[in-house]
Amino acid sequence: MAKKTNKASSKSDLEKYINKRLFDTIPLGIAVIDPDYNLVYANETFEQLFGSWGNRKCYHVYKNREGMCSYCESAMTLKDGLPRANEEAGYDKNGLHIHYLQHTAPIVDDDGNFPYVIHIFTNITEATQIRDEHEVLFDQVPCNILLIDRNFRIVKANKRLTDWLGDLEGAYCFESLKGLKHKCTECTARQTFADGRIHTGYHVWKSPAGKTLHLHVITIPLKRADGSFDLVMEMAVDVTQTLNLQDGLKFAHSFLETVISTSMDGIFAVNEKGKVTIFNPAARKFFNIKDNQVISREELAGILPQGFLTQVSGGPGHVYLPETEVKTIDGETFPVRLVGNKLKRSDDSLLGMAFSVQDLREIKQLEKEKLEAERLAAVGHTVAGLSHGVKNLITALEGGMYMLNSGLSKGNIERIQKGLEMLMRNIERISLFVKTFLSFSKGREIRAKICDPAAIAKEVVELYEVKADELGIVLTNEKIGDVPPAPIDYESMHECLTNLVGNAIDACQVSNGGSCYVAVRTFEKNGIITYEVSDNGCGMDYEVKKKVFTTFFTTKGLGGSGLGLLMTKKIVQEHGGKIELESKPGQGTTFRIKFPRSRLPKVIEKEA
Amino acid sequence: MNAKKKILIVDDEQDVLAYFAAVFQDSGYDTILAGDGFEGYELAKSEKPDLITLDITMPEQSGLKTYYQFKKHPALKKIPVIIITATDESYKNFLNELNGFSTPEVFLSKPIDPEELLKVVADILFDNNI
Repeated sequence: MAKKTNKASSKSDLEKYINKRLFDTIPLGIAVIDPDYNLVYANETFEQLFGSWGNRKCYHVYKNREGMCSYCESAMTLKDGLPRANEEAGYDKNGLHIHYLQHTAPIVDDDGNFPYVIHIFTNITEATQIRDEHEVLFDQVPCNILLIDRNFRIVKANKRLTDWLGDLEGAYCFESLKGLKHKCTECTARQTFADGRIHTGYHVWKSPAGKTLHLHVITIPLKRADGSFDLVMEMAVDVTQTLNLQDGLKFAHSFLETVISTSMDGIFAVNEKGKVTIFNPAARKFFNIKDNQVISREELAGILPQGFLTQVSGGPGHVYLPETEVKTIDGETFPVRLVGNKLKRSDDSLLGMAFSVQDLREIKQLEKEKLEAERLAAVGHTVAGLSHGVKNLITALEGGMYMLNSGLSKGNIERIQKGLEMLMRNIERISLFVKTFLSFSKGREIRAKICDPAAIAKEVVELYEVKADELGIVLTNEKIGDVPPAPIDYESMHECLTNLVGNAIDACQVSNGGSCYVAVRTFEKNGIITYEVSDNGCGMDYEVKKKVFTTFFTTKGLGGSGLGLLMTKKIVQEHGGKIELESKPGQGTTFRIKFPRSRLPKVIEKEA
Repeated sequence: MNAKKKILIVDDEQDVLAYFAAVFQDSGYDTILAGDGFEGYELAKSEKPDLITLDITMPEQSGLKTYYQFKKHPALKKIPVIIITATDESYKNFLNELNGFSTPEVFLSKPIDPEELLKVVADILFDNNI
């Protein structure tokens, strides 16, 4: 041994190292147990992993158990002397759960017995954790994942996919995913198999239940270290809902675009910076702006009522002007209905403003024409009423002619004279009559002043009190609720109510029944001032409603012949109101004249 | 024959009164003239005419009301009434609608043909009385 000192010394150093140092520094835990499972030997790495081991049993140290494991490979090795390997789970020195690979091998003595068993440990806790995490990821990631081999058979599919389509292993992808008998003509997996690159595409899958899914697909080669590969991972993200949303958005967009571009109302909008982003054809027509002409914020402010933009942007969100005036780009004023809306984000910050504008020119014109038509109709009625007066005049003229003729044939001078007088008098009356008619057809300008609506009713009722009393008619006047002053032509309205109350009293006089009443009420509801005159007099049927009060029921001689109610109607119309009539023969009549405040005439300035 | 028949003419138009009076007098009737409904009613009661012609559109008291009074009065309701007015047929319909009013014996529209008026009066006073 001494002869080989150098070599021997280096060799003995090596042996010493292997025996001592290597045993302790090797990154594998090593322990030796006796047949009673007592730990009799262990290296440093083992100690670092499991902690102190002296006088302890293996199951106590590895697994924190008081008794033997139900499945024990060491027991088997002690019996048969065969080495074993197994993945085990236990606890480290800190009591934390660990995974490790355990190799179990017998130590054989000279007699061929196995007095000891050696345990070699590889700590795979981290690797196991990573593997588990990958599995969770693979199964639970919100997309479908499958592995495909070169024959397009599915090798593995994640849980999300198998939950949906069932077990897919070994099936052809084109068959199980798309229900096809042959490979797809366009196949991202095939592209990846061909060039080893990642490919993307859109696929449409069909479930056995017939549901169609749209998917965004990525195929990735699963390469080995040398770059070769036989598997492709396909990841498919369900974009059905996104596509549906896109479709919905597209529809909403094209719907809005169509509505805006074909709307009869003008529609325009500005963004948060005040730039005009929408100005539809109707608005261009109203404001006389060319199709491709850009409108600046200043121009927009100029055509809208002064301060309107600020009013909308600074207000609570909605500004509605039922009747206002705007200007065309050339400065021509016209009446419109205008709505401005603030567009807000969810955090209430300004996103822009949207406007809609309705041209009132045509409506105004129609209103004017309607009023004119009604006026003409009233004139028509008047002519009908006039025929009554004319008939009376003709009768009188014929009377004059009769007197003249019969006087001449009888030589009765007195009669001739009487006849001539009658002729002359009635010719005079004709000219007076015509003048009255003309003045009616022209009408007089109404002169509205602020006055108390209920006061007019009160005055008219007072006027008839004595007469009603004489005739035994109960005449009442009632003001219901508050009726604030309004611009009304006092004299005209007085005439209106006089006509209505007078008619009601007439109706009572010809009534068959016992006690009669005429009730006048004044009230205001929803901005509409209403006078109501009702009676329980004779009433009228439809035919009569239309004719009697316009042509017969005058008690005011020739000049006012049949004009009472016509005048009433005219005055009501001039106040922007309307007249309603309810009547039943034998039960009574109710006249209601209604004046929306918004349509009342403008107040005439007081004369100096 | 009988004594002269008496006709009460009710009309607010003096010229019409004069005209009808002349027509009737020329045919041998006696005439009584009333310028409004009140007067007509009073004269009818006191004079007991054989026939009444009545205008409808009159101030103070309408012919309608007057007609109503005639027909309610026990002594007057049998006196035939000819309504002579410038109104048209619809008025006649209106009268029919009202309870308690019988259809007027005759309804004539102005302007009046004197011959027709005399014929109607003669029919009522002589033929229909048989």
